[in-house]
Amino acid sequence: MAVDGGADESGRAPLRVVVVDDHSIFRSGLRADLDTSIVVVGEAADVGSAVEVIAAQRPDVVLLDVHLPGGVDPAVSGGAEVLRRVVADVPDTRFLALSVSDKAEDVVGVIRAGARGYITKGTSGAEVSAAVVAVAGGDAVFSPRLAGFVLDAFGAAVGETAVAADELDRLSTREQEVMRLIARGYAYKEVAATLFISVKTVETHVSSVLRKLQLSSRHELTAWATARRLL
Amino acid sequence: MGDDPEPTLIPVLDRRDRDVICLDRGMTTAPVPRVLTRRRDCLVAGVASGLADHLGWPVWVVRAGFVATALVGGAGVLLYAWLWAFAPWEPADAGPGGVAAPGAPAVRRAPVAAILTGAAVVLLLVAIALAASAPAFETSGGGGLTLESAASPGWLAPALLGIAMAIAAACWVSFIDRPDPRRGRRTELIVRVLLTASLGMLAVVLVAGPAARAWPVLTLVLALAALIGIALVYSPALIALWRDLNGERVRRIRDEQRSEMAAHLHDSVLQTLALIQNRAGASSEVGRLARAQERELRSWLYEGDAPADSDLASDLRDFAAALELDYPVRVDVVAVGISEERASGELAAATREAMLNAARHAGGEISVYLEGSPNAVDVYVRDRGPGFDPAAVPADRLGVRESIIGRMRRAGGSATVRRGAGGVGTEVHLRFETEVPRGG
Repeated sequence: MAVDGGADESGRAPLRVVVVDDHSIFRSGLRADLDTSIVVVGEAADVGSAVEVIAAQRPDVVLLDVHLPGGVDPAVSGGAEVLRRVVADVPDTRFLALSVSDKAEDVVGVIRAGARGYITKGTSGAEVSAAVVAVAGGDAVFSPRLAGFVLDAFGAAVGETAVAADELDRLSTREQEVMRLIARGYAYKEVAATLFISVKTVETHVSSVLRKLQLSSRHELTAWATARRLL
Repeated sequence: MGDDPEPTLIPVLDRRDRDVICLDRGMTTAPVPRVLTRRRDCLVAGVASGLADHLGWPVWVVRAGFVATALVGGAGVLLYAWLWAFAPWEPADAGPGGVAAPGAPAVRRAPVAAILTGAAVVLLLVAIALAASAPAFETSGGGGLTLESAASPGWLAPALLGIAMAIAAACWVSFIDRPDPRRGRRTELIVRVLLTASLGMLAVVLVAGPAARAWPVLTLVLALAALIGIALVYSPALIALWRDLNGERVRRIRDEQRSEMAAHLHDSVLQTLALIQNRAGASSEVGRLARAQERELRSWLYEGDAPADSDLASDLRDFAAALELDYPVRVDVVAVGISEERASGELAAATREAMLNAARHAGGEISVYLEGSPNAVDVYVRDRGPGFDPAAVPADRLGVRESIIGRMRRAGGSATVRRGAGGVGTEVHLRFETEVPRGG
């Protein structure tokens, strides 16, 4: 993470964030709600301006609305299109998707396009801030429903378990346990306490699941996403 | 154009008027029907029998009268058509006080379509035979050609009549016989095939046969008429097809409009509702209203066509929505796997009870997780309230002890109530093992 001259006394620079949403009232509300360790360095309302602003500002985190106007390809959501066009140019920037609901329909497309997690628009400013910090630190942000979707899509409910560590199409036993607890509404800290592992390990597992979600060619994922024209 | 070409809703006389007329004439004793109606169990259209009932005459007298007046300048035909068009059907099998369905089919005893078809086929065959044989001597004398052309050829009348009959048969079978359960699409198909075959044969014989040399223009026109007849034979089917296509088109347009509207509402109303929840706080009154509204709108927009099956997950979602309206809570229901569990089962009842408990005593965020694996169904209900000690609950409080734990035990499952992770809140775990897989 780039550290410039603006480091405060805690030793960390405030996180630079770009907010991409087509509703100005939502952008201003979010800017007011984010806590002081986060500064909004840019805003954009559609796909084209988002790509420009992100490339110019190179922020730490982009809060990216899933449904954006101005996309060229009607088969993908506006958020996914922004990711596709810009993600290779800004390798240090993390993307956190914002969607109006936490339905997998809204979310899996942007996750697979490269977002590190997502939050729903109904969540409070404090939670958004926490998610921004987590994503900036390299973690993935999973909601209970996304965890449930992952368990379903990777066949965990019918007993499929990865045998090799590098397998992309199934979850390991530990990953399944973590996902189950997240689906039950546990915070990472609570997951760690329940499984007697460190929070860092939980985060590693979640990141690994996110990687599988992004890279897996598992039939359920691709078929599911194709059917909803997300990929 | 309606399916039923016979208007049945215009009564000849108002009931009261008729009464008045009867009294005026002093005909109070005769058990005559007050309104002229046509019988549903009829020969052709029920006109003759209806009139006979009305007048109190035998049916054959009425029929003979129709035939006789028909011969006098066609007055009988006109009267018949008039009555057919304007006399209503008799009320269909009106039970004791029951009102019959207005569209109840009439049963026609006479196979009108078959008679018409038979007549058409016979006439067309006669015309074909005449057309094929007649010119043999017509063309023999080259000088007499103009004279012969002036006179109408012998096959003209049967051909024209046959074509007319064929069209009448096709219309009858499609428009009038279609609702009759005894004559359905099968009769329709047979009639069409017969008519097409004979009309086609006529056209071929006229154009390619020897008659074409004698009357080139006339045969061409007649052949064309036969082809048009074929088209008309199929026109009812084409009209039906066109109607279907039109309906399909309308449905597609409606779907398109619906998804357009969904996209628009998604971009405007749903976003606004999310924003309201964000600004007002999840468990505030306004936030809950916005969430309930969002949920309702979303399910209307996107799940309108999916059957709302009463499986456990969707039932729990509905229950969660209801809870959110009544209590300051936010319930997140996550369902994984396929479960055979029905919403009416004991597991569902126990889960609802646990959710209600959490909403009532804990509030705030409630997570419900449902996982169906091949041999068990697990449900977790987790809240972040103050928590409670199950052992310390008084014996007279039946909520947890009876409605959840006892119910699950009686149903052959298990239930545990314990503190949530990190000592925060309560988590209820319900487990219901399905039968052991065979061969296991």
